Amino acid sequence: MSVNGIEAIGFTPYVAPSLNGAEAVRGSSKVGSSFGDLVTDGIDRLDAVQDRADKLAVQAATGDLDNIHDYTIAAGEASITTQLTVAVRNRALEAFTEIMRMPIG
Amino acid sequence: MGAFDTLAIAGSSMGVHQTWLDVLASNIANVNTVTPTTQSAFQAQMLIVRSAPGGGVEVAGMAASDPEGRLVSDPGNPMADADGYVRAPDMDMSAQMTQLVMAQRGFQASVQVTKQAQETYTAALQIGRA
Repeated sequence: MSVNGIEAIGFTPYVAPSLNGAEAVRGSSKVGSSFGDLVTDGIDRLDAVQDRADKLAVQAATGDLDNIHDYTIAAGEASITTQLTVAVRNRALEAFTEIMRMPIG
Repeated sequence: MGAFDTLAIAGSSMGVHQTWLDVLASNIANVNTVTPTTQSAFQAQMLIVRSAPGGGVEVAGMAASDPEGRLVSDPGNPMADADGYVRAPDMDMSAQMTQLVMAQRGFQASVQVTKQAQETYTAALQIGRA
């Protein structure tokens, strides 16, 4: 009898994103990776997720919904994505306020 | 692989278990359906399931039980042939009920997975919060 080692089946193992020192300070020079773009992308994604949840809610109301869990999962995803976007927004605002409070001169 | 894969995978499992429940409901509904011996018996449906390539599970197809069914003596039945036989579906009520419990428990397990996933995501949002 042979025993196989444990390996990932169909899943991509989690790899933590890494930045080396210089890159971390300079930031990536790639287009579309600024914090502003990150926030805009996040809001776009939030919009898409909420749109899907809304469509399923309408289906639920009109009786066209095939599976209840499709809607509940979409609603949960929309809720978490909203929380995430709001959290990012709050952090950005906090950072801005912190800078504004800096004494000059 | 996106941020909400756990939800998508658990969702696919709920979809499959939902289909399984529907199939079992249809089978149990027809457990007493008899046909004349000249026709084929009600064929119980069975779900064939496989793991989905991107993660999760999917319905691969359906199989049907033997159309021969079981010959049951029921002379009082208007559909009975000259010898008093009718055709009953080739399935077992207790087996269907057992599968019903399995399908229900499987669905509940997937619901639990989505609950845990949402809690996990919410916990991640709390990082660094005062």
